[in-house]
Amino acid sequence: MSQAKGEHAILDPALAPPFPQAALPVLRNPQLRKNVAHAIDVIQAKRGRLVAEKADWQELREAAAAIRAHVLENLEFYLEQFEERCTAAGGHVHWAADADEARQIILEILRQAEATEVIKIKTMTSAEIQLNPFLEAAGIKAYETDLAEIILQLGEQEPSHIVVPALHINRSQVREIFARRMGLSHLSDDPKELTNAARAYLRQKFLSVPAAISGANFLVAETGGVAVVESEGNGRMCLTLPRTMITLAGIEKVLPRFQDLEVVLQLLARSATGERMNPYTSLWTGVTPGDGPQNFHVVLLDNGRTSILARPKHRQTLKCIRCAACMNACPVYRQTGGHAYGSVYPGPIGAILTPQLAQMHHAQSLPFASSLCGACYEVCPVKINIPEVLLELRSEVVNQERSTAGRVFDPLYLGLRVAHLIFSRAWIFHLAQRLGRIGLRFFTRKDGWIHALPSAGGKWTQTRDLRGLPPQTFHAWWAARAREGK
Amino acid sequence: MSMHASSRQQVLARIRAATHPAAAAAAAYARLPRPYIRRGQRAAGSCVGLLIERLRDYDAEVVEAAPEELPATIAARLAASGRRVFVAPPGVPAEWLASGYEWRVDRGLSTEEIEKAEGVVTAASCAIADSGTLVLHHSAAEGRRVLTLLPDWHLCILRASQVVETLPEYFDRCAQPPAPHPSDQSPSLGTPVLATYISGPSATADIEMTRIKGVHGPRYLQVILVRDTN
Repeated sequence: MSQAKGEHAILDPALAPPFPQAALPVLRNPQLRKNVAHAIDVIQAKRGRLVAEKADWQELREAAAAIRAHVLENLEFYLEQFEERCTAAGGHVHWAADADEARQIILEILRQAEATEVIKIKTMTSAEIQLNPFLEAAGIKAYETDLAEIILQLGEQEPSHIVVPALHINRSQVREIFARRMGLSHLSDDPKELTNAARAYLRQKFLSVPAAISGANFLVAETGGVAVVESEGNGRMCLTLPRTMITLAGIEKVLPRFQDLEVVLQLLARSATGERMNPYTSLWTGVTPGDGPQNFHVVLLDNGRTSILARPKHRQTLKCIRCAACMNACPVYRQTGGHAYGSVYPGPIGAILTPQLAQMHHAQSLPFASSLCGACYEVCPVKINIPEVLLELRSEVVNQERSTAGRVFDPLYLGLRVAHLIFSRAWIFHLAQRLGRIGLRFFTRKDGWIHALPSAGGKWTQTRDLRGLPPQTFHAWWAARAREGK
Repeated sequence: MSMHASSRQQVLARIRAATHPAAAAAAAYARLPRPYIRRGQRAAGSCVGLLIERLRDYDAEVVEAAPEELPATIAARLAASGRRVFVAPPGVPAEWLASGYEWRVDRGLSTEEIEKAEGVVTAASCAIADSGTLVLHHSAAEGRRVLTLLPDWHLCILRASQVVETLPEYFDRCAQPPAPHPSDQSPSLGTPVLATYISGPSATADIEMTRIKGVHGPRYLQVILVRDTN
């Protein structure tokens, strides 16, 4: 198994260990790293081919970024319009200030519908509010229906990616989980056979369970409609067969008009799975007599989003359309996989979203889980400048840390204060250079490199060499040159 | 629900405090940049060719037919499928329902009856060549959503005049109100209340990114393209 007992991933930011610590189980597990790297290589190659196929890719990104920014600036207007139009079409709109309220609203709807079971379309927002364990405790069994989510639910594992959440699990591991939990000992590890097993396992649930829960890829203010994109048809089952349907959506998911889908639908599948279009996109508006659930609810979730909205540089985080292109492009995610991020939102977008949703009370290590290479910004279909937000958050974390009492004598902060002093006066700087050259002479080898330093300096030379200081500084050389009248 | 009315006020108040729109939303919306490609440059014929290529690329089977050949082509596809029991929406022409098969026309079929059918035959509203996408707006000839979901085999009849090259061209057709009479062949569709965009049969790549055709939706997607334009 990829995760031995005791290494179970914790995706609650309040409880998860810091990133460097949480990354260790993956870094030490070659099978897991291989699974992650393989999946990412496949998606990246497909995405690259299909993005190259679009002559207007950059123009689509520009339009999408502008639409999403416009929505956020006018969020009150569009949410009220959505509420009005969805209600007029027969839907019920609820507002949840936080996760607890969203869970209570959903439970209340399910109780009124007398549902003891509920089928679910993959929704990261429901994972964000930890809905499944809550419903379980309230006596309602939630069945995930996306293949990857079934693998995770039956295998009692956590998602490690927002689009292909079981990418860390390979076929023989899936076989083991299905054989054990579905009682199919004869099952082979052929993906086709495994997929058929999932189809058979869920068919009766689709036909009999009275209620379903979905997320929303987009809410359309103009029509009061909801759009869900998917591949397998499990979403269409959930949207069509049950009597009661609940859509849980973050308040930022709204688009102004139906026509705006022409931009985001061209970007989403190409960015997410490297397909021209995902196999199924469903759009529905309130309740349609004779077709689909006649009892339809939308729960609009804040849960920290308005606090992100209030900060101008951070607000772009909410433009996200959850395509996961950033994590597929990220050199850090590629090494650590998703569990290290201690949140249902991993990768670069998780590194900025999670600490902000936690109101900077948790997940302070995440803004540092990046090399700031900018690959995430380059691929983002709505042009979120993730490195810019990472830097903002880093400075906030440092300010938080600096103001805590224990930090006054912390070697790092002492060192930084000394550095501040040295860099603030030219004469101190020159003196430090001179002393440094004398001091480091003992450690510099003949090749001009320092291979080992004592005490705190050793932390640097443990993993990389340090160039020795040159015999003359640029300043000294320039001054000497002037004296010689050149 | 009234007990949550205060949360509505609270969330909206937080949004109001966080945002300061400079102009009315409609005016700002009108100024949004739209530099992407609206209309494709292909001739109609090459557009249909592209659609066929892209449908096949995602495992749909496509055949072409002249309008007068359609009933015979449908019968041939049904025969080749090896299936016997089919459902159809109430609005499809009677000549599509080839003899020799058990047809259950959806005038209030139960879910169980639809589940027992081996295939379904429907019309479509539009198709987008660029992404190989079939569009259903669930009219009387396209059927309720469940009708094209439970049967394992879907035969979709598409007219060449319904094919557009780009996704924005489809949305342009939706921006115009639909034709008052379905027989007048106007391309205008109107904004749909329900819509399903289908790009190939249902699929997954959740196990080691290996694309597997057919999970919960129909595993077999067949398209007949009727050449109603020259």
